[in-house]
Amino acid sequence: MDDLLVMAQIAGRRCALHAHDVQSVIEIAAVTPIPRAPDFIAGITAMRSQALTVIDCRRALGFDPDHWATDNRAIVVSISGYSYALLIDAIEDITSGMGQPEEIPGGFGPEWSRVATGLIETRVGPALLIDVAALIAGPDPIGAAA
Amino acid sequence: MDDLLADFVAETREMLEASTGEIVAWEADPADRARLDTIFRFVHTVKGNCGFFDFPRLAALSHAAEDALADCRAGRREPDSALVSVVLAIIDRIVAMVDAIEAGEQFPEGGDDELIAALQPGAEAPALPHAPASALLDDFNPETGETTLAKRAEPVAAQRSIRLPVDLLDRVMSGVSDMVLARNDLAHRLRQAGTQPTIDGPFERLTTILADVRDAITRMRMQRIETLFSAVPRLVRDLSSELGKQVMVDLEGGDVELDREMIETIRDPITHIIRNAIDHGIEKPGERLANGKREIGMLSIAARQSGNTISIVISDDGRGLDEERIAAKAISTGLITADQRAQMSREAILQLIFQPGFSTAETVSNVSGRGVGLDVVRENLERVGGSIKVSSSNHVGTLFTLQIPLTLSIIAGLTVEVSDQRFAIPQSYVEEIIHASAKALDFTRVGETALVTFRGVRVPCLMLTDVLGLPTGDLADGQHIMVMLRLASGDLFALAVDRIHSHGDIVVKPLAPAVMRTGLYAGSSLLDDGRPVLLLDVTNIAATHDLVSDAKSRVLRAFEEDDESAAAEVQRAMLFTHFDGRRCAIRLELVQRIETAPASALDLSGSTSRAVIEGEILPVVGLPDGPVPAEKIRLLRLTDGACELLHAVREVDDAALLEGALEPEPNDPLVEAVTLVDGQTVALLDGHELFARHSKPAEAAAKPVCRLPDSDWARSILAPLVASAGYKVASDADNHEDVAIWFDDEYEAAAALDVEFRSPVIRLRDAPEAPDAAETIYRYDRDGLIRALRQARKTMGAR
Repeated sequence: MDDLLVMAQIAGRRCALHAHDVQSVIEIAAVTPIPRAPDFIAGITAMRSQALTVIDCRRALGFDPDHWATDNRAIVVSISGYSYALLIDAIEDITSGMGQPEEIPGGFGPEWSRVATGLIETRVGPALLIDVAALIAGPDPIGAAA
Repeated sequence: MDDLLADFVAETREMLEASTGEIVAWEADPADRARLDTIFRFVHTVKGNCGFFDFPRLAALSHAAEDALADCRAGRREPDSALVSVVLAIIDRIVAMVDAIEAGEQFPEGGDDELIAALQPGAEAPALPHAPASALLDDFNPETGETTLAKRAEPVAAQRSIRLPVDLLDRVMSGVSDMVLARNDLAHRLRQAGTQPTIDGPFERLTTILADVRDAITRMRMQRIETLFSAVPRLVRDLSSELGKQVMVDLEGGDVELDREMIETIRDPITHIIRNAIDHGIEKPGERLANGKREIGMLSIAARQSGNTISIVISDDGRGLDEERIAAKAISTGLITADQRAQMSREAILQLIFQPGFSTAETVSNVSGRGVGLDVVRENLERVGGSIKVSSSNHVGTLFTLQIPLTLSIIAGLTVEVSDQRFAIPQSYVEEIIHASAKALDFTRVGETALVTFRGVRVPCLMLTDVLGLPTGDLADGQHIMVMLRLASGDLFALAVDRIHSHGDIVVKPLAPAVMRTGLYAGSSLLDDGRPVLLLDVTNIAATHDLVSDAKSRVLRAFEEDDESAAAEVQRAMLFTHFDGRRCAIRLELVQRIETAPASALDLSGSTSRAVIEGEILPVVGLPDGPVPAEKIRLLRLTDGACELLHAVREVDDAALLEGALEPEPNDPLVEAVTLVDGQTVALLDGHELFARHSKPAEAAAKPVCRLPDSDWARSILAPLVASAGYKVASDADNHEDVAIWFDDEYEAAAALDVEFRSPVIRLRDAPEAPDAAETIYRYDRDGLIRALRQARKTMGAR
């Protein structure tokens, strides 16, 4: 699977997203918070006339975002008709993956295993391939499904 | 009537088109249950529809086919190829009859009885003029869905139209939205750069064009639900007279707009529910009287729009749904078991009526039949992502709530603010906006619940900050703005917010599922400055706070309200302070709204003062002598139904009930009476005298008539101008006119033919430059035209 990957830092780790999932990368300006929404949803923001739901990926994984700085850029993805802006630490690069994503014995840790498709080797080194749909479901997918 | 008939023809064709494949497949496999259902529905709908028209033959045929198919569905009969042939022959004949109906021709007599007889089990297959099903669809063009319709409809001049995929419209729509935002951005930058006449002019033009385009695009997709409602009274009338019942229908929310497509989708479901309500729900007059109800049944249909959903509530005050009978039926058909029944709530049991093949009707009437309606209703609604619910109380009534989603819609919204964050509320819910400090509102807390008094009734009040879990602002209790919201179910509650901002059209976009799950929001939108704003889901918020009553109390309340209004006319008045310092009041029915106008809008010359409000010139009373004392002036806009006038006031106080005795005041003709409000005397103005003195004569009667040249230009461009100048545009029916407008070339031609001009003529020329000595006006010389029209009016008055 030699397709293109967008490399990003999430919660201090190097992660990869399939480039065909990614619509664009934007600079996050003002975010309107959504009262009573799950806390991994930072709010909504406008991209042209579209409203994007901003997902704080660090919180979506169950980490405290205060531990990592962010450069306020976000990856825009579209899942089942809705557009999301994934707020991450930093965008690194676009590169191509080498080989298939693989499972690792022992997993990636409880937070990561839920959202990870597997380990993928890239030209800049190994990275965790992220399943975007699982990521936006938030840290409590059982509650979210209810 | 013609519209209804055309609808009937179109609908029958559409259904046949949709079931084309099914018919062919059924022919191949008569035992196929799903196909059978489809064809059953087709004949059922034809039967139901032609019941409203006088088509006994169509009704007989479809009823016979329906009976036979119902037997098959119930397993009393095995569909065999003979039955299939006869049913197909009947469908064939229905199509031919529909064609004849549309063409206005008489369909040849005879042959129906043979077909109906052939439906009987064991009947010998007659020599049927039956061709294979596919042949009967020959004149269907499957790609366009057009039938021979086009050929036959030729004599009628059709409006030019094309079909477009909705996707394309959506794309154009979002493109225009983007353009509006780009424009707003540009406007912002232009403001920063200061005035630049060379750029500002074209920019203004761009703005106007964009507004027009946006409007047009919106309208492309939207239609008022009125188009659907307009057929309802007729439907109800026909049905109720057929069934010997008396039904009054009450329609509300006809101005709610929704996608054309969506209107078409809900047309059938709503018709079905109305039919059921009248047939099964509302009792015969005698029975109603015996149950202590008024003999006239009430059927009310109310539409409300909220973000991405439209809710339509159809309620009747009939006998209601019988829980036990529904449960018994469901058990006997194997839908549920007796054990399950024991565990089901009444609510859940009632919803069983939406299951396929369900009906409790004991007699099968011509109108609504075997419960085929409701499962199809649910299916149709669910296909577009909607839902339907029913609630009912025995002998009190039934209430159906339909929720229909709109993925993309534009609604009028009110922007409110709490804790420095803005939210939008659909305008359709907003009944009134009141400042909580208003005395009449009487804001109190009972336990943890806040209450306000609105029109004499205690109404629950929600603090938006509490609802959203936001920190309470620095506003003290009683300093909030109360937005009075009325739900589609008729329930009223107050929502306390910090501030009100603008209201205007907002484009509603869907929200991500995770956000929707909060149950607080119906969608999002963008403010003019490009910031996103959340649209509150008023219905859901009310429901989670237990503010929505069930069907029972609603129907009961409707009765109470009726009784109240019959018992005592509560007199209410608007209190204000006159410029001479007097406290005055005027009956609230007369007050249309409160206007604020700059002093420059007032014209004090002449005998009566006038003011310009939204382009209309209205007489003003109540101004002090001398110069206007303030830059801005508050005006009460009063109306007697036909004409309007403005009453200038120093201060608007409040609305109050006129409870005290009214002491007639003989000395001042303008004062009807003096009364006490809150222990202070108040002069109640005499509305009759006010209008008698100051209003213009009722315009409608006195409007001069102006005949226009017969051209598109005149109709679309000239007519509005003429109308705005206070003229009625002459229609063909008007056989006189006070003034006529002619194109100069036509005028000269007519004059050359010695045509007698019955009225003064205004002549229009095409060229801006005036030729010598001609009394013509350039067709785009707006001022000139208006001057000429005014002049004509004056000379008329002099005659």
